[in-house]
Amino acid sequence: MSRNLQTSRNIQDSGIRRQTLVSLCMLAGFVIIFGRLFYLQVLQADKMREQAARQHYKILTMDSPRGPIVDRHGKPLALTVERPSVYASPSVISNPRHVAQQLADVLQLSSASLMRRLQTTRSFVWIKRHITPEQAAQIRALALEGVGLLMEPHRQYPQGLLLSHVLGFAGVDSQGLEGLEKQYDAYLRGQAKTAILLKDAHGHAIRPMVVKQRVGPAGYTLQLTIDEMVQYIIEEALEHAMDRTRAKGGVIIVMDPKSGEILGWALRPAFDPNRPLAADPTWRRNRGVTDPYEPGSTLKVLVAAAAIEEGKVEPGTLMYAGDGQMPVSGTIIHDTHKAGWVTFAQAVERSSNIAAVKTALLLKEEGLYHYLKAFGLGERTEIDVPGESAGLLKPPRQWGSRTLASVAIGQEIGVTPIQLITAVAAVANQGWLMRPYVVRAILDAQGTMVWEQSPQVRQRPISGKTARILTTLLVNAVEKGTGKLAAIPGYQVAGKTGTAQKFDLTTGRYSTTRHISSFVGFVPASDPRIIALVIVDEPQGPAWGGRIAAPIFREVAERILQYLKVPPHVHDAPLTVAMAHHEDPVQSSLSKEQ
Amino acid sequence: MDLLQKGKPLQMLLGSTNERRRSERGFDAIDWCLIGVVISILFLGVLSIYSVTSSTHQARFPIYLKQVVWIGVGSLAFWILARTDYHKLARFAYVFYGIGLIVLLLVLVAGKSSRGAQRWIALGPVAVQPSEFVKVTLIVALSVYYASKARHGWLYRVIVPGLITLPGFLLILKQPDLGSSLSFLALYLTLVLAVGVKSKAFGLVVLSSLMVFPFVWGEVWGSLHDYQKARIMSFMDPMSDPGGTGYHGLQSRIAIGSGQLWGKGLYGGTQIQFKFLPEGHTDFVFAVFAEEWGFLGSLVLVMLFVALFLLGFEIAAEAKDRLGALLAIGVVGMMAFGVIVNMAMTVGLAPIVGIPLPLMSYGGSATVVNLAALGILLSVRRHRLTLLQ
Repeated sequence: MSRNLQTSRNIQDSGIRRQTLVSLCMLAGFVIIFGRLFYLQVLQADKMREQAARQHYKILTMDSPRGPIVDRHGKPLALTVERPSVYASPSVISNPRHVAQQLADVLQLSSASLMRRLQTTRSFVWIKRHITPEQAAQIRALALEGVGLLMEPHRQYPQGLLLSHVLGFAGVDSQGLEGLEKQYDAYLRGQAKTAILLKDAHGHAIRPMVVKQRVGPAGYTLQLTIDEMVQYIIEEALEHAMDRTRAKGGVIIVMDPKSGEILGWALRPAFDPNRPLAADPTWRRNRGVTDPYEPGSTLKVLVAAAAIEEGKVEPGTLMYAGDGQMPVSGTIIHDTHKAGWVTFAQAVERSSNIAAVKTALLLKEEGLYHYLKAFGLGERTEIDVPGESAGLLKPPRQWGSRTLASVAIGQEIGVTPIQLITAVAAVANQGWLMRPYVVRAILDAQGTMVWEQSPQVRQRPISGKTARILTTLLVNAVEKGTGKLAAIPGYQVAGKTGTAQKFDLTTGRYSTTRHISSFVGFVPASDPRIIALVIVDEPQGPAWGGRIAAPIFREVAERILQYLKVPPHVHDAPLTVAMAHHEDPVQSSLSKEQ
Repeated sequence: MDLLQKGKPLQMLLGSTNERRRSERGFDAIDWCLIGVVISILFLGVLSIYSVTSSTHQARFPIYLKQVVWIGVGSLAFWILARTDYHKLARFAYVFYGIGLIVLLLVLVAGKSSRGAQRWIALGPVAVQPSEFVKVTLIVALSVYYASKARHGWLYRVIVPGLITLPGFLLILKQPDLGSSLSFLALYLTLVLAVGVKSKAFGLVVLSSLMVFPFVWGEVWGSLHDYQKARIMSFMDPMSDPGGTGYHGLQSRIAIGSGQLWGKGLYGGTQIQFKFLPEGHTDFVFAVFAEEWGFLGSLVLVMLFVALFLLGFEIAAEAKDRLGALLAIGVVGMMAFGVIVNMAMTVGLAPIVGIPLPLMSYGGSATVVNLAALGILLSVRRHRLTLLQ
């Protein structure tokens, strides 16, 4: 070795200088690189590490699953399930035409619109969200390049149409858009769940490895006052009624008059919250709270309540029914059943318009307005579903000469179905006006109660005595009067029919062919368990409330009473005796137990 | 008083017969040292390629195995050339170079294009990059040119070899392959520097090129492709556009810097594993290595390269004749240029010109050519004691 080096030094004498120059250049290059490496990997190391971390940790926030909505017995009305969604990474798809064609076949989409989405340079696009498991299996089997599936939470309404107007619906990202889903979104929505994921340069989580995760609790459960069985009964009855009457629409609301809890709430036309966009937007509106209507004769209940409470009339008070005609400021008010002198009780029984107008005249404008207001008309009931209208009740100074008479028979006044049933429920509840509600409690994911609604009294427009007197009149109206078809064997039904002509905006007059037929009643009269309002909008053929709405009430109420196991009257005790029990709450509860 | 003016190394004859025989027959300690260093570098290269590609490329035949195959082919070339007397190569030097130029022309006419550049020729199932092979023929051609006759004056020392180099340089630049054409130019400059130029002549060249520069620059800049311009611009200020043109350089520096002193370990290189830095197995293989093995690992790797090149210079110094010395310097110069420029661009000291890291980056042509060139280097050493024909 040493000998070789010796030799080379001898032969290359001066030439070595040049070679050294080249090697020095090279060494200088390496020294600079060394310096740079030292700078990057030692001096700047922490900064670089931090920069790297910022790039490949992705903080992902995901919502925990949305809480379910259940009925009062815990039966699910809205659920969150995992459904597959298809996405694509157009940047890695080499043959978009083929991919688009294949996907279009499975998903029944147009391949042209898929093509457009696949021809972008983006790294992530949704193809279709929330597909069926069968479609997902087909797509998985195709194993298309750049196409993947992700499981996403999806809101499902297992009962379809059932209660859809109250429930509303949630969007693709599980955000509440309508109804209770919207109103209680903050509770239903799962707490944000943050996960720190390792991600690659395309922003995809590359490993199923979650570095750190803070799991928020799942969304709260909403427990409703709705009874799924009651709801099913009224939905079915309303569906049949719609077929039978070929009406434009219909409403049935069932309530517990003592607490204000809504037991059932059915509307037609209805929509499937699983496919909300397939329905006409007007069908999705919760018309039970949003749309005021002219209640017609059902409003007479409140007029009578006011007059009795004011001591203007008693059941035996005689009134002249004008032989079926009564002129009021240039127009004539008619009665269907002509009569001369009648008692106030008979007038209610027969639903006499003339008697109602005369009663209203006794109360005067201020008096009537005061009571209607006290029954909650013209203001929101503050029920916990969104979109409620206050109805239309003008103050007396805006009333015209005919208005007092019109209001007495349920015209020139707009009430929402929930306002009407809530007001009449006060009669069933010894004069106490309750706040209606549909959400009974909010539970956390473990089932612990987080919040509970208790019945709230709003005010007491009439005394218990007035309520009792009025109840006997309403029982008579069903047993002997216009509401005969609402009578249920074995139970005492108190109720009132209503037939309102619809105001025709084109002619500026009340239509003679288009009506709203309704019935509101509670049962058993002595100790009401349920109150129900039935409204049929524009039935074909004869529209009398007593003919159309009363039988629906009967069908519905009878089945609900059976379902609730409400005992029928064992003996035909006079109502006054039954009412006497009401004076003493202890007695009352005893009689319930019998 | 330089390499060219040396007389024939008569002292060579003084070497004992035993010694001569040994050097022809097998390898001595220095040879083994060289082979050991080369194997180490090749191993680290395959390891880095394996680390990057195992998670991202799911091919039936993994890239690191392909590289092993290429190393096998290269080793064969290494073995054959190491056993061949380099003087035999010298006889066909100009022919080889001429064939090389013709192939480069063919590439422009019938080459395979990929990402806007036409650099490859399909040979059956493999794509060959002729510019790599032409580099070696240039080394041999220029060495033969300088060694066959004493070249005096700047015309024969600078201009004529420059004219030999120019066609190849232009053909490669036209592909376009800025990296390869620059290393072509670097070869020429290395050999010019090695044979030495009179300071007056060299000064004249430098001065005249400086004077011509402003006029030529416009032409040169105009002839560069947009992506080449963008790379040079982004090198000047990479932070100006972190998502765009400066992306590679910035990501490469983040990868290396975040490796810190000890590195992140095999597979631990998040920047490359997660595709923040693409081409981790080719041009940026050093970033992969530096991220996973840290400053200390990089230190070892750079030391290995320095050792390889110092051994190369040692061989040049010991060479029997001018031809051998120039061949050795040419081989070392070619590889050292590749290593320095590649590392410089990886650490953010040079624009990203697309020069792979010799012996480490994945690539069939470059691996085979580099190993073949090392074969020539070893041939120079093994034949340092043989009698001249």
